[in-house]
Amino acid sequence: MNPMLTALARLLIFPGLLFAVPAAWFFLWVERKAVALMQERVGPPFMQPFWDFVKLLGKSTPPRPGIAGFIMRAWPLIAVGSAAGAVGLLPVLPASGGFEGDLILLLALLELPSICIIAAGFSSRSIFGEIGSAREAALSVSYNIVFLLAIVSIAASQRTFRLEALAAMHPTFLTVLGIVAILICLPAKLHINPFSLPNAEQEIYSGPMTEYAGPELAMWELAHGLEWVAATGLVATLIAPHIALAWGTSLLAGFIFVVLSVAVVLLLSVLAAATARLAIDSSVRFYWQCTLIFAVLAISSALFVRFWL
Amino acid sequence: MNILTMLWKNLRRGYQTLLFPARPKVTARFRGLVQFDPALCTGCAVCRMRCTSRAIEFKAGKGEFTWSYNPGQCTFCGRCVEGCTEHALKEGHTEHALSQQQDTPPVYTTQGELKTSYTVARRPPASKPVAAPVAAPTPNPAPGGAQ
Amino acid sequence: MNLWKRLMCTARRKSPWLFHMNSGSCNGCDIEIIAALSPRYDAEQLGVLLQGSPRHADILVVTGPVTNKAVNAVKTVYDQVCGPKAVVAIGSCPATTNVFIDSRTLDGPLDKHLPVDVYVPGCPPRPDAIIAGVVKAAVLLAERGSDAPKPAIVIAGTAAEEVQP
Repeated sequence: MNPMLTALARLLIFPGLLFAVPAAWFFLWVERKAVALMQERVGPPFMQPFWDFVKLLGKSTPPRPGIAGFIMRAWPLIAVGSAAGAVGLLPVLPASGGFEGDLILLLALLELPSICIIAAGFSSRSIFGEIGSAREAALSVSYNIVFLLAIVSIAASQRTFRLEALAAMHPTFLTVLGIVAILICLPAKLHINPFSLPNAEQEIYSGPMTEYAGPELAMWELAHGLEWVAATGLVATLIAPHIALAWGTSLLAGFIFVVLSVAVVLLLSVLAAATARLAIDSSVRFYWQCTLIFAVLAISSALFVRFWL
Repeated sequence: MNILTMLWKNLRRGYQTLLFPARPKVTARFRGLVQFDPALCTGCAVCRMRCTSRAIEFKAGKGEFTWSYNPGQCTFCGRCVEGCTEHALKEGHTEHALSQQQDTPPVYTTQGELKTSYTVARRPPASKPVAAPVAAPTPNPAPGGAQ
Repeated sequence: MNLWKRLMCTARRKSPWLFHMNSGSCNGCDIEIIAALSPRYDAEQLGVLLQGSPRHADILVVTGPVTNKAVNAVKTVYDQVCGPKAVVAIGSCPATTNVFIDSRTLDGPLDKHLPVDVYVPGCPPRPDAIIAGVVKAAVLLAERGSDAPKPAIVIAGTAAEEVQP
């Protein structure tokens, strides 16, 4: 098939926008409902993220004299586009295409929403936005080092940067360590407790998003949901040796992929319900002092395994 | 591990929420909207005097008076009901005109929507049961609240 | 476009996002608003979320009689809420200034400055009454459609009626 057409189909249909957007709403609902049930509340009904999205599309945007409105409105669209692209790269079905080095592209696309949030906070010229963006930037620098070192150590130990090959790998001690490190970085990436400071409501009036309203806010919420899908999908890719399932059809493998992603969502919800929000210095200190040493150990042992064994 | 056991217990117990539109029952001494019984009111206006937020208005006329109550202004303290009870007991009555509803006041959309007003004709005072030398009924004893 | 309009009306009814504004209240009503989000009453079962920024909210929930220092803040925040919007006055204070009537430090009940849609009486109102008020405001929002939002009212002394057909 024409590779351009396959790429477009993966971006827009499966697992691209057409499937990723309902998946994003589903994952957002799972997180909210799980946190609510653990807090003895009944939580939102099933269609709630969908209704939130539709309602936000119908609100008006305020006039913003003196601000570069075009750039400010572009950031949420870039965030949605890159998060959707990241979801489109996931190998949900085995042997579904992909190319050498698509792990690197996935990481880059996963990074873009955070950068868009930081840029959006500054471009909205609101003081709360600036403070939120500064906090998000500090957090982003801290967890990204651990995140990237963990992924690079897994890829180096398997000698490949191709997502499908990583999906088929058999777990060794090193890869398990790397997956645990990635899971520790996910709460900071997805802005949930205990690292939810950039989005804190009562602290800084919802941070970088303070000045956004209406359809722009709908795009931010959608980007957030797509980030959930992409990040949990990445972990599910690394956990599931789905190609090694000799007895599975490709549909079953896709189903198992989704189930694993939901399991990661539930795990993160338990963490979110059990912890409180850490201040920015505690969050940064956690990533620099506690996890960095393990990430450095992982990457050095991976390089050792790669080059000397 | 404490928080995790708590979360597990919460999950097992299920949600404790009252599903909308179920509402919890109010307790026995809940102070809700003030209820007025025109048949029992003597027009002493003690309630107007005791009201903390001027929710009760009292207009005395010839032979009748108007009692009105604005729940939007009310702070549900219950001083009017206390005053009515004490005054009625002092006068020798066992019943009094004011009571408080044991239910939450309703939500409304227009300013002043819940305001109620009653115009009550003055009644001649009840004849005293103790034998009094003069049997002629005295005119309305209290001027009914000076304006 | 009828389907889209109906979808939008349902979405507005099912997803009321609040912004809570305290214009000088004693905090009794604020505590009851927080209690409405607690597990026993759980406003989130109706999609109600307390938002951090007025630009994100649909319903402005106001407590407190409007003190002199809070007047400009209340009007500014109301103008920052993006339309379609509704205002809910929680407690007797914003409706009629309650026990603080004729006080020197206040500037009238809330509808002297903003068009109020729903009044929730009580001192403080019970959390289930607050939720009932928010639901009523959400239904009003759904019926309101996409009218242009009213600016904050500056005429003194008039009680604005905000019942849309």
